[in-house]
Amino acid sequence: MRQDIINFIKDYRVIILIVFLVVSVASISISGITEGLDLKGGSSIQIELQQPVNTTTMDTVVNVLNKRLDVFGVKDVQVRPSGNQSVIVEVAGVQPQDVANLVGTPGKFDATIGNQTVLLGSDIVTVQAYTVEGNTWSVPFTITTAAADSFAQAANGKSGQPVNMYLDNNLVSSPQLDPGLANGVPSTDVEVSGTAASAAAAQTQAKNIQTILQSGSLPVQVSIEGVSSVSAQLGNEFANGALIAGLAALIVISAVILFRYRTPILVIPIIFTSLSELVLILGVASIIHWNIDLSAIAGIIAAIGTGVDDQIIITDEVLKGNREFNISKPIQKSRRSKRADKKKGKTDNKKVKVSRRITGFRLRIRSAFFIIYASAATLIAAMLPIAYVGYSTGSGLGVLVGFAFTTIVGVLIGIFITRPVYAKFVELLVGTN
Amino acid sequence: MSILERFLSNYKPLIAVPVIITLIALALIASHGITENIDLKGGSNAVIQLEKPISSSDLQNTIAKGINNNQVDVTSIANNQATIQISGATNVSAFVNSISGTGTLLSFQSVGPLLSSQALSQVYYALAFAFLFMSITVFIVFRNIVPSVAVILAALSDIIIALGGMSLFGIPLGVASVGALLMLIGYSVDTDILLTTRVLKRREGTINERATNAMKTGFTMAAAAIGSMVTLYLVVIIFIPYAQTLSLIASVLIIGLTADILATWLMNLGILRWYMEDRR
Repeated sequence: MRQDIINFIKDYRVIILIVFLVVSVASISISGITEGLDLKGGSSIQIELQQPVNTTTMDTVVNVLNKRLDVFGVKDVQVRPSGNQSVIVEVAGVQPQDVANLVGTPGKFDATIGNQTVLLGSDIVTVQAYTVEGNTWSVPFTITTAAADSFAQAANGKSGQPVNMYLDNNLVSSPQLDPGLANGVPSTDVEVSGTAASAAAAQTQAKNIQTILQSGSLPVQVSIEGVSSVSAQLGNEFANGALIAGLAALIVISAVILFRYRTPILVIPIIFTSLSELVLILGVASIIHWNIDLSAIAGIIAAIGTGVDDQIIITDEVLKGNREFNISKPIQKSRRSKRADKKKGKTDNKKVKVSRRITGFRLRIRSAFFIIYASAATLIAAMLPIAYVGYSTGSGLGVLVGFAFTTIVGVLIGIFITRPVYAKFVELLVGTN
Repeated sequence: MSILERFLSNYKPLIAVPVIITLIALALIASHGITENIDLKGGSNAVIQLEKPISSSDLQNTIAKGINNNQVDVTSIANNQATIQISGATNVSAFVNSISGTGTLLSFQSVGPLLSSQALSQVYYALAFAFLFMSITVFIVFRNIVPSVAVILAALSDIIIALGGMSLFGIPLGVASVGALLMLIGYSVDTDILLTTRVLKRREGTINERATNAMKTGFTMAAAAIGSMVTLYLVVIIFIPYAQTLSLIASVLIIGLTADILATWLMNLGILRWYMEDRR
């Protein structure tokens, strides 16, 4: 018995599992697990460009959006292109409406006097900090000297006329031309100002306009196609709920195992294997910085679920092998039908000759693993199209990439690392009994 | 004769049971249709934390006025949290403005027409290719036409019955339920492969003995899988009703796995036995 346990621990599969577990736990405790936006709270906004663009234009779009969010003071931002016509912006811990206003607009600025365009967004050199007084806000900015010259010429003698300032063709400000600016002397200091319904609204509007002017305009028309946002509070509830559900499911599985096999000791390795698979999947996620979100949790459930299936298959094969071994010593064929007996006599006789019980287990486990590998292969085959769709477009079903990837990783970990150890354990258990 | 023996010897007419259920499911899908989630038809979903008690019709009016869209539906108000569905893509700023003073945003999801039509075509491709790849794998594993086809038919029947159940219970088809259907392909093939391997490839015992043994294992697997999915469903419904992703996956799998018991042990086993007895 003791020798058996020592042999079990010395088995290379057991050692591999222990090493992987240690590495996973170390990685999880050192670098942690990155939670997806739906668990830690945050927003993901998908922006659609009016037409497909080349990589240079896409880079500009991504840079401008990054700059806007940076200027606005949003931390923890990820802007990534998805295909050649859309961009996904992900921000943690920010209300979606703040970001939507920033990234959902091209930010094209122009100013006109009468019908004449006198200023463009590209003329802006620097933008100063906005000021708010009461409900009135203003954003001062500096323009190039060339733009100042042409502005001065256009404005010359038009004192009192309105300067209409547009952001994306919406009039934001329409100040009257100051006599000091209408005298033909160029000035590089300009400001855009307006009033809002409340001081807070003025603040928001000023900050938005400052950010957009400062970061420049996007080279294409954009619109918001999709928003997905979860508050930190709800995300936290999701994460806790999933944990409770997982533990409860393990209890139910244990009850089923207990009911079927009436061997309490079998419950321990099944729970241990399931938890090991969880730790290893999270370990992989932690090492490769894979986000664990709700869909990844679904993938973990799928992987561990097939794991329990596999363990039941292994247990039944080994127990059956044991039973057959025990009844094969006395007159072994009493319970079998004569027809089958005639047909399979040869193979059965061969099997009886397998004198060492352990070899019988190995055979059994090998046939169990035929079923296990085959089902793993079909599950992975079913998940591959989703993984492909997700990687190629990143949108739509792209959410399921996390699911497909986690399932595939989990199943591979299961069939190559944890489930062989389970088989070894059941062999030990039945062998010593 | 025990029930099990009687069942095992009358396998041919029993094949009809899952077939008929599959046909009923098809009829349900054809007549009822399957509702689509906003992932696939476009629209918005929001969960808000209410600052003060409000009736659902008041909330509906407030929002409808605020976002200038009459197709606002308050689907539930519980624990001071309200769930709202809106047809058509909604500007999130306008929405937040409309509930200012009433509540704060907990979650918001909006899908535009472009995105939803993209997702819809991806759903069909993903399911079709998943099924195709699974079938190819099954053929490679067994290299034998009739048993492979039996496995594939059982999986197909599972998916159709799951879809029929979704139609019957009003479970929407969306990204999450597609994930569940893919999981179902994986799970249902598990028991089919177990059955086929045990009955077709093993030599010990009679076909009936092998089938009975496989059935014992298969039922334990089904009990564990269905049991854990029911648990997942209950926990989500009780503790985190807004984690729709998980409750949808669980409910689709509960239906599909139950269907799989019939499809595997009545249809797949039936076809397999028929084939093996014919071959003798």
